[in-house]
Amino acid sequence: MTKLSLRQSVVTYLLIGILLVIFMIPIYLIVASSLKPAAEMFSRPPAIFFTPTLQHYVDLFTLRPFHRNLINSLIVTLGSTAFSVFFGTLGAYALARIRHPRIADVAFWILSMRMFPPIAVVVPYYIIFKALGLLDTPLALIVVYSTANVPLTVWLMKGFFDEIPEALEEAAQVDGYGVAEIFWRITLPLAAPGLAVSAVFCFIFSWNEFLFALMLTGSNTQTATVAVMSFWSSDAVQWGRIMAGSFIILIPGVVFVLTCQRWLVKGLTLGSVK
Amino acid sequence: MTYVRSRNRRLAGTFLLPTAAVLFLTTIYPMLYALWLSLRNYDLAKPFIPRIFVGLKNYREVLTSDAFLHSLVVTFKLMAVTLSVQFVLGVGMAILVTQRLPGMAFIRTLLLIPMMISPVIVGLVWLFLYFPELGYLNYFLSMVGLNPIPWITSTQWALTAIAIADIWQWTPFIMMGTAAALQSLSPEPYEAARIDGNSTIDVFLHVTLPQLKPVLISLMFLRAIDAFKIYDIIFVLTKGGPADATETIALYIYRQSFTFWRMGVGAAASFVSLIVISVLITLFFRSMQKSAASR
Repeated sequence: MTKLSLRQSVVTYLLIGILLVIFMIPIYLIVASSLKPAAEMFSRPPAIFFTPTLQHYVDLFTLRPFHRNLINSLIVTLGSTAFSVFFGTLGAYALARIRHPRIADVAFWILSMRMFPPIAVVVPYYIIFKALGLLDTPLALIVVYSTANVPLTVWLMKGFFDEIPEALEEAAQVDGYGVAEIFWRITLPLAAPGLAVSAVFCFIFSWNEFLFALMLTGSNTQTATVAVMSFWSSDAVQWGRIMAGSFIILIPGVVFVLTCQRWLVKGLTLGSVK
Repeated sequence: MTYVRSRNRRLAGTFLLPTAAVLFLTTIYPMLYALWLSLRNYDLAKPFIPRIFVGLKNYREVLTSDAFLHSLVVTFKLMAVTLSVQFVLGVGMAILVTQRLPGMAFIRTLLLIPMMISPVIVGLVWLFLYFPELGYLNYFLSMVGLNPIPWITSTQWALTAIAIADIWQWTPFIMMGTAAALQSLSPEPYEAARIDGNSTIDVFLHVTLPQLKPVLISLMFLRAIDAFKIYDIIFVLTKGGPADATETIALYIYRQSFTFWRMGVGAAASFVSLIVISVLITLFFRSMQKSAASR
């Protein structure tokens, strides 16, 4: 890339300015509407300067048990993340070390499980959990989210393990370490960034998920995304509350983008872009 | 040493067992169960009808029903529109944000935010914008002299409304992938092309684009796979309506299973959609292997 002339730079900034406005308006609206008094929610022209109120946030936690929804989301999210990172990492290590001509196919096959449409397994899950009496328990969602999170962790961690030289492990073996010990003390610490990346992706996926949460939770385990959707009812739409809840839910994702942007490409493109 | 190495690898291979067991229980078993369901008359609304084996009856019903074929058409229409806009816009944005100008890194970061937002919330904020009578989008249109559009209440516009929300959320994905690829291109072909006196557009078309091709193909398949599964945004904005204007495959399955409680039919439709998506996934893997081989 060469340096742009002054005119080109101005045009570039102008175009980017337009794009930024378009792409940021919905996010601005979430934040602004969560702080706007209900009377000014749809005022014409849109009230840019208004007296902000925290009323919607207060309502969220007093009129609605949103803290319980957040705790439910957190239990399911952390549970599924821990479960998926643990099992995904083990499988990834095996795939990185086994030398077999068809091992790449196995890895692809595992990854493909993540890509299947969730709606296709909602029906069997609903029936299975109903029979087991697990509907409306956090365990149901923890298990279901692992269908997406375990394959993703396997795939991401395999990439990290592939880059750790086997000679390092063999050197440790000469020092008398066993296979499990080598994995735990030598290889895993070297792959620590991978663990962090995988955990973050599992976290965001589970935190944001809606379809399974809608179908498999009930009053005891309703997660935050389902709760926000439930504020939408045809007779009295509580936009302030919806936006306040939405803002709280989108915080982890935004923090992730702002802090670990370089991992985003790897995780979201499944390594197809280096 | 080679003996030790192969023995280690075998031992490391045992690490696969717990993962395989988990994947079997959480993914493969439910899918087999879906297959079993799809061959049965399984109607939760009519518990008195025995859940007998009916062979391929559910599949025959799904594949010959207008509603299912319509949902396939809607799904692919939506996919075609969102993918093409996301590509043109995303690649354009990638070129802009990879210019060496102050502030670009921060601008790039800001533009990535939509992707990380829960699709339900994306749906809700666009519902806020589209809302009949009140929503701001028609107000903005009226400022530039356009007539209000019945975004989510007319069969003519509802699919466009959904496409816009999806484009807003996922164009940054194409931008991000393309920008990463652009930044890793080697500079030599550019210098050569410039010395030959080619215009900027020529250089882009004949030097940059061919180099980006493998990455763009991979990104396209990833988007296609996701577009095929689109559910949450539609659920929030239109629930498949008005009439069946926005009923994609996912919504068709949902309606059969949880509105009509015809689990067998829902499962059969699920399996048909699994087959379609398997084709997309296979093509994605092929493209990935190809681009890995060419690196």
